[in-house]
Amino acid sequence: MSETSTRMAAVIRDLQKHYVLKSETVRALRGVSFDVPEGDYVAIMGPSGSGKSTLLNLLGCLDQPTHGSFLLGGDDVAQMTDDELSTIRASRIGFVFQSYNLIAQLSVVENIEVPLYYMGNLNAQSRKRSIELAKMVGLGERLDHRPTQLSGGQQQRVAIARSLVNDPYFILADEATGNLDSVTTEEILALFQRLNDEGKTIIMVTHEDEVAEHAKRVIRLRDGEIQFDKPVEGRKVFTVEQIQEIAHNADVATRSAD
Amino acid sequence: MLYFRTVKLGTKSLLLHPMRSLLTVLGIFIGVASVIWLLAIGEGISKEAQRQIEDLGAENIIIRSIQPPDESGGNFRQITAFGVTRNECKLINDTISTVKRVLPIRELSQKFAYTGNPNVKPVDGRLVGCTSDYAEVTRLEIERGHFLTTREVELNRPVCVIAARLADKLFPSEDPLNKQIYLPEKKELFKIVGVLKHRNATAAIGGSLAAQDFSLDIYIPVTTMRARMTDQETKRSGGSFSSKLFELSQITVQVKSADDVPRTAELVEATLRQNDPNRQDISVVVPYELLEQAKTTRLMFMMFMGLIAAISLIVGGIGIMNIMLATVTERTREIGIRRALGGKQRDIVLQFLVETITLSIVGGITGILMGLLCPVVIDVSRWGLEYFAPQLYAGLPEVARVMRPTIVPISIPVAFGISVVVGVFFGLYPAVRAAQLDPIEALRHE
Ligand SMILES: Nc1ncnc2c1ncn2[C@@H]1O[C@H](COP(=O)(O)OP(=O)(O)OP(=O)(O)O)[C@@H](O)[C@H]1O
Ligand SMILES: [Mg+2]
Repeated sequence: MSETSTRMAAVIRDLQKHYVLKSETVRALRGVSFDVPEGDYVAIMGPSGSGKSTLLNLLGCLDQPTHGSFLLGGDDVAQMTDDELSTIRASRIGFVFQSYNLIAQLSVVENIEVPLYYMGNLNAQSRKRSIELAKMVGLGERLDHRPTQLSGGQQQRVAIARSLVNDPYFILADEATGNLDSVTTEEILALFQRLNDEGKTIIMVTHEDEVAEHAKRVIRLRDGEIQFDKPVEGRKVFTVEQIQEIAHNADVATRSAD
Repeated sequence: MLYFRTVKLGTKSLLLHPMRSLLTVLGIFIGVASVIWLLAIGEGISKEAQRQIEDLGAENIIIRSIQPPDESGGNFRQITAFGVTRNECKLINDTISTVKRVLPIRELSQKFAYTGNPNVKPVDGRLVGCTSDYAEVTRLEIERGHFLTTREVELNRPVCVIAARLADKLFPSEDPLNKQIYLPEKKELFKIVGVLKHRNATAAIGGSLAAQDFSLDIYIPVTTMRARMTDQETKRSGGSFSSKLFELSQITVQVKSADDVPRTAELVEATLRQNDPNRQDISVVVPYELLEQAKTTRLMFMMFMGLIAAISLIVGGIGIMNIMLATVTERTREIGIRRALGGKQRDIVLQFLVETITLSIVGGITGILMGLLCPVVIDVSRWGLEYFAPQLYAGLPEVARVMRPTIVPISIPVAFGISVVVGVFFGLYPAVRAAQLDPIEALRHE
C-alpha cells in the first residue's frame, strides 16, 4: 500500500474471523482490509449478522483474528498474549457501549478512572484529569454520584469521558446511541463531533443512517465482507453555536435534575 | 495505593449486598469463635481434672477400703471385718523405704449438732478420724485456730476441726472456736479447735474413689475415734440395723519423691495382697498415674475439639464459596466491563480474592472477639442458670460448675490463620472462574 503523510491509528489487512461450532464454521469476517488514519470518524454499518460487532471486538483487542493482521501503533495485535491485549485495552483503546456499562458500585470519577487503575497510573494528577473530563462532558457537578443516580444520556457521557481518559488510539462505539432518545442522541453526537474536531479518532457501529450521516466515512459490511467504503456525502455537521447550545441545554437539564 | 483501592472497591462491592455479606461472615465468625471456645472449654475441663487429681497429691498413693457386697442377705449374718488395717498401715510405713509417711483415715457419716443454739438443726456430715499430717497431705487450709496437733492425737483428746460450710451451718451467728459439737448418734462431745477454709471438691476417679466433698467434714484424732467408737459401726435404717466392721476407710501413703511413685505403688500392692492376691476389699489409686493418663486424654480431647472446630470452619468456607460463585455469576457483566477496560485475568482473580479474604478476615476478627468473651459468657450463663433454675444448676456435673474456660493463646492466631486460608482456598475457585470468562461473552451477559 502507499504510505501517506497522515499517521495511521489502525491498519487492517485481510482480517478474518471464523467461529468453529460443532455443526458448522461461521465465517463472521471473510477478509476485511482498510486503514483508519488519525482523526478519522468512521461509521460501520450493515445488516444484522454482517459482522459489525465481530469487527469491533477485533479492533478493540477483545478478540483475536483467525487470519490476517491488525496493526495498532506498529504492533500486530494478532500475535499478542491475553495480558498484552489487556494492557493495550487499558492504555490505548476507548470503549463506548450501547448499554453504557458503568460499574455500579463506583462513583462518576471512579468510573472514569478505571482504565488508569488497570494501567497502574492512579495518582493525584490522574484524578485531576478525570475530573476535567467529567467537567468536559458536563458532569462536573456530579463527580460523586453513582450510575443509578444518572439518566441514560448522562451515563453515556460518563462512558465517553472514561473512553478518553487513557488518551486512546481511537474510540470504539458499538451502537452508542441505540438506547437513547433523539435529543440525547444529538447530545452524544455533538460530543463525538467536538472530540473529532479536536483530533480524536472515532469508529462507531450504527444501524441508523441519521447517526452515520455525522461521520466522515462509512464502511458497509455484508456477510463478513466490505460492501463499500466511502466518504459521507453531505455530512451533517453541528455548528459551533449548535454544539454550545446542546451542551448548555444538557448542562441545564443536569443541574435542574439535582 | 493500588491495593488500598482494591480493598476499598471490594468493601464497596460487599456493602452492595449487606445481608448476604453478613450471612457469609457469620459462617466464618461461628467457625472461628467455636475453635476458640471449644479449645478454651477443653482446656478448662482438663485443667480442672488435673487440678483435682493434683489435689489428691501427685506423690500420694491412696488405698481405699471397700465394703464387700452383702452376700448373706439375712438379718443375723456374721459380721466380718474388711478393708485396710492399722497393722498394714504400720507395715507399709516401716518396710518400704521410699515412703515418707502413712496416714490412717477412718470416715463415718454422722449427724452433727450444736446444742447452744436451739434454732440450729442437726446437719448430716462426715466424721473423719485422722492424724495431724492430714491437713498438709490433703492440702486443707486453716481459717482460724489450728489443725489437730500430734499431741492431741497421741492423747486421744476429744477435739475437732470443722469444715467451712459446716461451721456456717451450725454457727450462723457465733464464733465456733472452743464451742462443743454434739454427735447425737454417738452421744459424744468434741471441742472445736480449728475452722478450715472453703475448698472445692476433688475428682471422682473411676468407681474406686468417690468425689470428695470436704465442705461438711469434721476432723478428729483417729485415736480418739477408735477409743470412743470402736471398729464396729452400727446404723439403724428404717426398722432394721446394719453393721459393718472395719479399722480404716483409707490410708494415704506419701512417697518421698514423685518419681518413686510407680515403684512404691507396686510394693504397696504386693504388701497388701501378700496373703490373698485377689483381695476385693481394697483398691489402690495412684493419682500420679491418673495425671499421666489425664495428660494424654487432654491431648486427645483437644484434638477432637479442634477437629469439630475445623469442620465448622470448613462449612463456613463452603458458605463463602457458594456465595462467591453466585456473586461471580451475578457480576459477569461487571467482569466483562473490567476486562474490556484493561483488567488482566490476575486483576480479576485478585479483586474477587480480596472480597473473600475481606469477608473471612472480618469473620475472623469478630470471631476472635467472641472467642475471647468465652469465660465471661460462661460465667454469666452459669450465674443466670444458678439464679433462675437452681435445680438444673445443681444437677450439673461438678466440673461444669467449677471449670474455668482457659483461652489457649495459640488458638487465636491459628483460628485467624485458618479463616484467612479458608477465605483464600474457597475464594480461589470462584475468582479463577471469573477471570477465565470470555470478555465478549461476559459483556453480552444480561
Ligand atoms: N461467539 C460466536 N460464536 C459463533 N458465532 C458467532 C459468535 N459471535 C458472532 N457470531 C456469528 O457471527 C456473525 C456476525 O455476528 P455479529 O455479532 O458480528 O453481527 P452484527 O453485525 O454485529 O449484528 P447485529 O447488527 O445484529 O449486532 C453472525 O452470524 C453471528 O451469529
Ligand atoms: Mg452487533
